[in-house]
Amino acid sequence: MKKSLLMLLTFVFVASIALAGCGSKTAEEKPATTDNNTTTTEPAKEPEQAKPFEMTIRHTQVGEQKKTRFKMLQEVVEKTQGEVPGLTFKLDGVDSDVNRKEKLRGEMASGSVPDIFDAFGSPDAKTYAKAGKMLDITPILEELGIKDKFTNLGPWTVDGKVYGLPIGASAEAVFYNKEYFEQKGLKIPGTFDEFQTLLETIKKDGKIPLAAGSKASWVPLMITNNLWSRTAGSDVTEKFNTGDAKWTDADVVAAFKTHKDWVDKGYFKKGELGLEYADMRTQFFNGDAVMMFDGTWASVLFKEGQDGGKLVGKVGFFNLPAFTNGKGDQTSLMQDVNNGYGFSAEVAKDPQKLAAVKAFIKNLYNEDMQIRGLVEDGVLPSMKVDQTKVDASVKDPLMKEIAGVLTHVNISYAAFDSIVPADVNTEIGVQIQKLIGNQTTPEKAAEAIQKVQEEANASAE
Amino acid sequence: MTGGAPFHFLTRRFTIFLEDGADTVMNKAMRNPYIYALFVIPALVLFVMFFIYPLINAVYYSLTNWNGVSDHLKFWGIKNYTKALTDETFWNAVKNNGYFILFSCFIQVPIIVISSLMIANVKRFKSLYKTAVFMPTVMSTAVIGILWGFIYNYDVGLFNKILGFFGAEAIDWLGDPKFAMLSILITNGWQWTGFYIIMVLAAILSIPKDLDEAAEIDGATGYQRAMKITMPLIMPVVSVVIMLSIAGAMKAADIIIVMTKGGPAGSTDVMATYMIKYAITNFKYGYGNAISVIIFVFTMILTVLYQVLIARRSERIEY
Repeated sequence: MKKSLLMLLTFVFVASIALAGCGSKTAEEKPATTDNNTTTTEPAKEPEQAKPFEMTIRHTQVGEQKKTRFKMLQEVVEKTQGEVPGLTFKLDGVDSDVNRKEKLRGEMASGSVPDIFDAFGSPDAKTYAKAGKMLDITPILEELGIKDKFTNLGPWTVDGKVYGLPIGASAEAVFYNKEYFEQKGLKIPGTFDEFQTLLETIKKDGKIPLAAGSKASWVPLMITNNLWSRTAGSDVTEKFNTGDAKWTDADVVAAFKTHKDWVDKGYFKKGELGLEYADMRTQFFNGDAVMMFDGTWASVLFKEGQDGGKLVGKVGFFNLPAFTNGKGDQTSLMQDVNNGYGFSAEVAKDPQKLAAVKAFIKNLYNEDMQIRGLVEDGVLPSMKVDQTKVDASVKDPLMKEIAGVLTHVNISYAAFDSIVPADVNTEIGVQIQKLIGNQTTPEKAAEAIQKVQEEANASAE
Repeated sequence: MTGGAPFHFLTRRFTIFLEDGADTVMNKAMRNPYIYALFVIPALVLFVMFFIYPLINAVYYSLTNWNGVSDHLKFWGIKNYTKALTDETFWNAVKNNGYFILFSCFIQVPIIVISSLMIANVKRFKSLYKTAVFMPTVMSTAVIGILWGFIYNYDVGLFNKILGFFGAEAIDWLGDPKFAMLSILITNGWQWTGFYIIMVLAAILSIPKDLDEAAEIDGATGYQRAMKITMPLIMPVVSVVIMLSIAGAMKAADIIIVMTKGGPAGSTDVMATYMIKYAITNFKYGYGNAISVIIFVFTMILTVLYQVLIARRSERIEY
């Protein structure tokens, strides 16, 4: 026994020394940046003898689908380097989800935050801002005169101070199969009742009225969110946080009832809880489903060579029709502005870096770039842009249709997940799946969500 | 436990190597406390760094409201623990971990043992069978998730096609809360059974042939030989398989994330996915740490139970 213990210890000792030796060696030899996605662009010519400095931009423009967006970022980077003496940007590309859920959080906790980084407004940026990790860019926006140019900075604002800027916006509404509509003599519904009749007509024809893939709960919630914004008003989601409205209010529950009603009537693809978001799109692409409730980001898929290539020129887009007894503006549209760029609080300590951030904002957030984002990448503007310029630039028929829908919108509101506390978000996700799976009633679901909302409201105070 | 077998092998070999003389020198050296410390410290440092320190850290943060980012934290005692232990959703997750354990011990282990016995006794294509059963183990969980996603597909999946052939109604395997957990258990079982079969098979094949032959000469049937000779001799390995299954069941997460994301409506959440969903995603690292400490405690309790109920009873076998 003693002998074996002794030998075991010897083995561990030798092994640990060997491992320790290897560890430090590799750490020393490792170059500073070996990331595949890391590219360093050449520094611009320096007009003056400015002290050279480097800044990191954490972006999420990796992969084939984001190459247009990446090209635009590179142009901004080059332009900014040309304007700020001594500046070299280091581009660090990371997958969006990895950046959001792991990398950035770790960096925030350890304090080594990239100077400029891709971020989500709420709850992420708000949490970081409250912890003092993000740069207050309000003075920069005021200096550049663009503070009022954004359609909505709500998810990026804490106590009246702006901490980040949305790169673009995305609206959520109904994509429909134009070819099918023409064949069957169907029209875009003008009222909510007409919409329900339309759903019934398609169902009777043996087609799936609405594509569905509800394994991830945010997918069906796009519909529910739109429904409650019609039945209870587009500003109701904010009122849940202040206690001015409750999930159990009759007009909110009405939205859950409608959603459940549609499930029961078979307006969605059967077995939706086991299907992915991508499956939902496939149902629409291959013509099984006639309509699909999705974000405008899906518009890029209806192009030659893309997944929805079969439907080029055959897809239309309309906003969820007005409820007869709805509350508030019935033409309102959900426009999400939750993804964009934030800046490290550390930047404030270095005047050179601060100047670089200012130039970066100026070059990235302007009318020209916003229209380019719309035309080249199908991303709606997050800034107010001249409509005539948009009309002149947009050539894609679907994009034109989407832009046309936007012109009829008086009020836009943010998606619920950028407004309600994270706990409530999780609970809504659970309850909507229970509702679809027939495990709860609209009333009970609303009660469960309200309970979590009240707990969250109480802890926020 | 996993490291036990190879270390044992090493120590045995070294002991043979150091037989007579050498060990007495070492024993003398070990009486010197400084030399003793020299040998112990490296391992101790690693143990403290990678196990004790993170554990204490987790316990510390579990008593706070830390959001994972802020430098300011509020100490609020056992609030996180009471919250978790009074949350119905959490207990549902614990129950699902329980299903994992029960499924592995009472369904998977018998299948493993029977399959191993069968493969050990085939005369031809033995290595083909071995390779075939081991295949799922080398596949990544993400691939398995997609593969089984097709098998469970409501419209075109294999299972529903079979059900349809017999005129039965199609089942929404991953979308129906009644079937979702079972679907995951089957997939998880499929993934790991091969690995354990190889372990048990190695144990069976290491049993000296003469034992079996002697029994055969004495007139024992194949069944009797399997039950009276092979089974008792492979019990130590089966007990390790059970231990590994329990440990695997307690930390299961990847297969669930890939297949159902804990859904529908949290019906397939286990403790680890509950932690991700309700704590980490929502910037509640204090709560997340509390959950991880609870997982640790539960695993410890199970390990102790295993030691008392199973491990102590299966003696080591020397041929």
